[in-house]
Amino acid sequence: MSLELLNNPLLSLLQDKGRYGYTSIGVTNSGVMDEYAYFMANKMLNNDLHSNTIEISFSNVMFKANKNTILCITGANCEFFINEIPKKNWQTHNIKVGDIIKVGKILSGSRVYLSVSNGFMVKKDFNSNSTTLKENLGGLNGSKLSKGDILSFNSTNAIYTTRLKKEFIPNYEEELELRVVLSSQYEKFSKKEIEKFFSSTYTITNEFNRMGCKLDGESITCDIDGIISEGISFGAIQIPKDGKPIILLKDRQTIGGYPKIGSVLAIDCFKLSQCKALKKVRFKAISLEDASTKLKLFYTSFSS
Amino acid sequence: MIFKIASVDSLIIYFGDEINQEISSKVKNAYKCLKNLNDKGLIEIIPSYTSIFINFDIFKYDFSSLKQKIISSIDLSIKNEINEEIITIDVYYGIEVAFDLENISKQTKLSINEIITLHSNKLYDVYAIGFLPGFAYLGNVDKQIAIPRRSSPRKIIPKGSLAIANTQTAIYPQDSPGGWNIIGKTAMQLFDKNLSTLSPLHVGNKIKFNSITKEKFLAQGGVL
Repeated sequence: MSLELLNNPLLSLLQDKGRYGYTSIGVTNSGVMDEYAYFMANKMLNNDLHSNTIEISFSNVMFKANKNTILCITGANCEFFINEIPKKNWQTHNIKVGDIIKVGKILSGSRVYLSVSNGFMVKKDFNSNSTTLKENLGGLNGSKLSKGDILSFNSTNAIYTTRLKKEFIPNYEEELELRVVLSSQYEKFSKKEIEKFFSSTYTITNEFNRMGCKLDGESITCDIDGIISEGISFGAIQIPKDGKPIILLKDRQTIGGYPKIGSVLAIDCFKLSQCKALKKVRFKAISLEDASTKLKLFYTSFSS
Repeated sequence: MIFKIASVDSLIIYFGDEINQEISSKVKNAYKCLKNLNDKGLIEIIPSYTSIFINFDIFKYDFSSLKQKIISSIDLSIKNEINEEIITIDVYYGIEVAFDLENISKQTKLSINEIITLHSNKLYDVYAIGFLPGFAYLGNVDKQIAIPRRSSPRKIIPKGSLAIANTQTAIYPQDSPGGWNIIGKTAMQLFDKNLSTLSPLHVGNKIKFNSITKEKFLAQGGVL
């Protein structure tokens, strides 16, 4: 009753919505980097929306199915084979005992989600399966998935295929505009610096991982060097001394002392999570009300 | 209390703008009130030196409604009976594990024993937790031994190391790079998934360090 991992992927992590309620002792939220792809997979599989998934960050991962199930691949556009026959992403597939499932080359985007009917049966660490490597929490034993790992599930019998309409499949090559709600320290940036921030084009650097994304481009100067360490939100844009913005993501530190100009709308952080180094992004200010309406719409769209 | 937007679904409350016990006790008082609300709409509450960060459920609150709710449910004028639990942490201050004690002794012209006494005689407050899970920022260290961070950080500071940076002291809950001055080591687990609460330290606790012998440290499972 399981999927067995046949090779050693560079970085494949068991993830779910995240670990909540422990940030006061320094434990980060973790969770899937791209909630859109994650929720969509669970919706197509008719799963609980918070069922776990495998987040695959680099090409070439192979599994063998030891039981029947239904499987769905979402997120980054990748080669995907069942018994060496190319298959489509963003739709469900009936899997039979002995089937070999392979995620090949990642073609566009950067994180693939492999989900099965009802999710994998893995004991949770503090209410979540989300793997945070630096905390050694979640996953099978706090680590990334490796060859020989067995991920159990309840077997499910074949159903008719669910396919996502083309218009809902994201194009990860599209230009990305990150919508920003100005936050607590924005008054510590001069009007000129704020204008510069919103009118410049930034480039995603190689310093991009589950913790955050460092950008290169126009340096932004803050009137203050640092602040007294305080809690940090998902999507917060820190401006360190070198003036190059850092957007904080799922494995972010819980408190920090860099000034923050604003916070990127969560929906856009999910899109950012599918970007690669050298991609250009721009920022756009939006009102709190507007941001709130958009985020609520995002979450309600999966629950209907 | 000053309320500021942190993101579309989070806000931050400021209680002052400097690190001191008075502001910290306001934070702790309000943190306790907020925890006592037992409100599922408050997803994360992160207390720090001068502030409390709240990530809220966007389907239950918005910035204004949560601000109103907090103003009406937190009365800072009423001193909550904060039952501050004192946690005693056994520490071995031997120079085999206290890499910087001799250097601090040179810098401060105090003997190693005087430094240990100054450090272990104080009752510390947990001001904030972060940097690493279970890494508690404790204050305030006696001014005589409040020495700044090392100019070049160490690549690995062993798990359990007790350290000083300026007026703060802390224990590294796991092996980590770091620039603080190492003055001892504990065998106590500060972040462990086998603990029901993950970490024994929380903002609001008081911490006392107890100097122990090498034999006792080893018997507790300490590693030199």
